[in-house]
Amino acid sequence: MIKIENFPRILPFLQMFKEGIGVTVLLSLCTVLIGFALALVLAVMRMSNFRPFLMLAHAFPKVFGFFERDKEGLKLDSGFLYHMGRFNPFSFLATAYVEIIRSTPVLVQIWIIYYGVFNAIKLPAFKLFGFIAFNRFLPGAVTLGINSAAYLCEIIRSGMQSVDGGQTEAARSLGLKQLQNLRYIIMPQALKNILPAIANEFVTIIKESAIVWTIGVADIMAAVNAVKGATYIIMEPLIVAAGIYFCLCFPTSKLIAYAERRMRRGDVR
Amino acid sequence: MATSGKIIEVKDLKKYYNRGAIKALDGVTVDINKGDVAVVIGPSGSGKSTFLRSLNLLEDPTAGSILFEGVDITKKKYTKAEDSTGRTVTVKVDVDQHRQKMGMVFQHFNLFPHMTILDNMTLAPVKVKGMSKKEAEEKALALLDRVGLKDRAGAYPIQLSGGQKQRVAIVRALAMEPDVMLFDEPTSALDPEMVGEVLDVMKGLAKEGMTMVVVTHEMGFAREVGNRVLFMDGGKLLEEGSPTDIFEHPKHPRLQDFLSKVL
Repeated sequence: MIKIENFPRILPFLQMFKEGIGVTVLLSLCTVLIGFALALVLAVMRMSNFRPFLMLAHAFPKVFGFFERDKEGLKLDSGFLYHMGRFNPFSFLATAYVEIIRSTPVLVQIWIIYYGVFNAIKLPAFKLFGFIAFNRFLPGAVTLGINSAAYLCEIIRSGMQSVDGGQTEAARSLGLKQLQNLRYIIMPQALKNILPAIANEFVTIIKESAIVWTIGVADIMAAVNAVKGATYIIMEPLIVAAGIYFCLCFPTSKLIAYAERRMRRGDVR
Repeated sequence: MATSGKIIEVKDLKKYYNRGAIKALDGVTVDINKGDVAVVIGPSGSGKSTFLRSLNLLEDPTAGSILFEGVDITKKKYTKAEDSTGRTVTVKVDVDQHRQKMGMVFQHFNLFPHMTILDNMTLAPVKVKGMSKKEAEEKALALLDRVGLKDRAGAYPIQLSGGQKQRVAIVRALAMEPDVMLFDEPTSALDPEMVGEVLDVMKGLAKEGMTMVVVTHEMGFAREVGNRVLFMDGGKLLEEGSPTDIFEHPKHPRLQDFLSKVL
C-alpha cells in the first residue's frame, strides 16, 4: 500500500536520485549518439551498391561475365547467378546485425557485453564527474547504443525508401554520385519523414536505460533499490521513479514534435 | 570525336523483363546527330519512355550498346573508343560523367522539394562540376531570367505552378551545360493552359541548336519543332523520317492507325 507518510523517508536518499537522473540523462545522450552514428553507417551499408561478383564481371567480362549475362549476351534478371551477381556483402552484414539484435533480449545483450566483452577489456575504474562509475557506465552506453542502432537503422532505411524514386533519378541524371544523392537529396527529405519514429525511439532509449541497473550502474533504479534495502518501502520510491522518467520522456517527445512542426514549414504554400 | 555529327549511336538496344516475357525494347537502332530535335511518338507502352531513360542509363539495358560521343556507356568499366586521331584506345567508362552531359527533364518535374529554386539549380554545378557558389548562382539567375522566373529564385518548388516547375526543371538541367537534352513527356502532367509556356521554352532551345530527344504526345510540337520523328510501337522503332514524311505520308500501317486516332 502507498502511504503518504512514507514519502519523507525517501528524502535522505535525494542525492542518490539526483545522481541517478544525471546518469540516466547522460547515458541516454551517449546511447543516442552511439546509436545514431552506428545506425547511419548500417543504413548506408544496407542501401549501398557494392556488388563484388558484378564488379568481377565488369572487370573481366571474358572470365566472369556469367554473373551478368547469359550465353546469348542478354543481361540476367533472375536465377541463382543473377542473385550471386547482386550479392552485396555490406548489405548482408548490416541486415544480419539488425536481425540478430532485434531478435535477442536487451538484458541478454547487456550481460554478454558487460560480463563477456568488457571482462576481457579492462576499463579504468575512475568516477566520471565524481559520481558515475566509468567501468560500468561505458558498457551500458555501448550496449544500449548497439541495441538502438538496429532499430534506428530500420527507421532510417524506411525513411530513405519513402522518398520518391524520381528524386534519385533527377539527382543521378544531373551527375550526382550515389553518396552525394544520399547526402544532399535523400537524407534531408527522409529525416523529415522519420522524425516521429525517431522521437519514439529516443523516448524508448530513456526508458530502457533502466536496464543498466542490472550491471551496477547507479541510475534512478539503483536509488529506488537503495531506498528499498534501507527502509523496506518499495511502492513510494517506485512512484517517484515513474514520475522522474515521465518528466524526462514527456518533454523530449514534445521537443521533437516541435522540431517536426518547424521542419514542415517548407511544405506549406 | 571520331564520329563527328553523331552524338548518340544506339545499336540493337534491348530491355527485357521476366526473362524476355516482356520486351519493353526489342532491338532499337538509331543515331542522334548534333543539333537534332528528335521527337519520339507512339502509343502508351510502346517503349518510348524506356528508350529515352536508357539513353542515360536510368534503365539498365538487357543488351545492345549506346555510344555517347563515341564511348559505349553500357560497358561498366572499360571500353574501346577512337580518339581524335582515329586510334583505338581503351577508356574508362564513368556513367556519372556522361550523365552530366545529358540533361533530363521528367514528366513529374522531380524538383528537390526541400531546396529553393536557386539551390535546386546550383547543387549539381557546385557539387559535381566544382563551380564556385557565386558563379553558379549568377548562371542560375541568368537562366531563370531567360524563362521569366528570376523573381521566384528564393521560392520553394511547392509554391510554383506546374508550368513554372517544369520551366525550372529545364533550366536546372541546362545549368550543367549538357550536350544533349532528354525530355520524358514534359507536358503530360500539366494543365492544358500551362503546356504552351513549357513548349515555348523547348522551342527556344531547339532554335539555339540544342540537341534534343523528346518523348511527347504533342503532335503539334513534333510537326513544328522536330526535324526528325521516330515512331515506336511494341518496343520497336517502326518508322522514322521528317515530320512531313511521318505526318503527311505515313507508310507503316501501325503508324497510319496511330495517327488516325491522335490527329
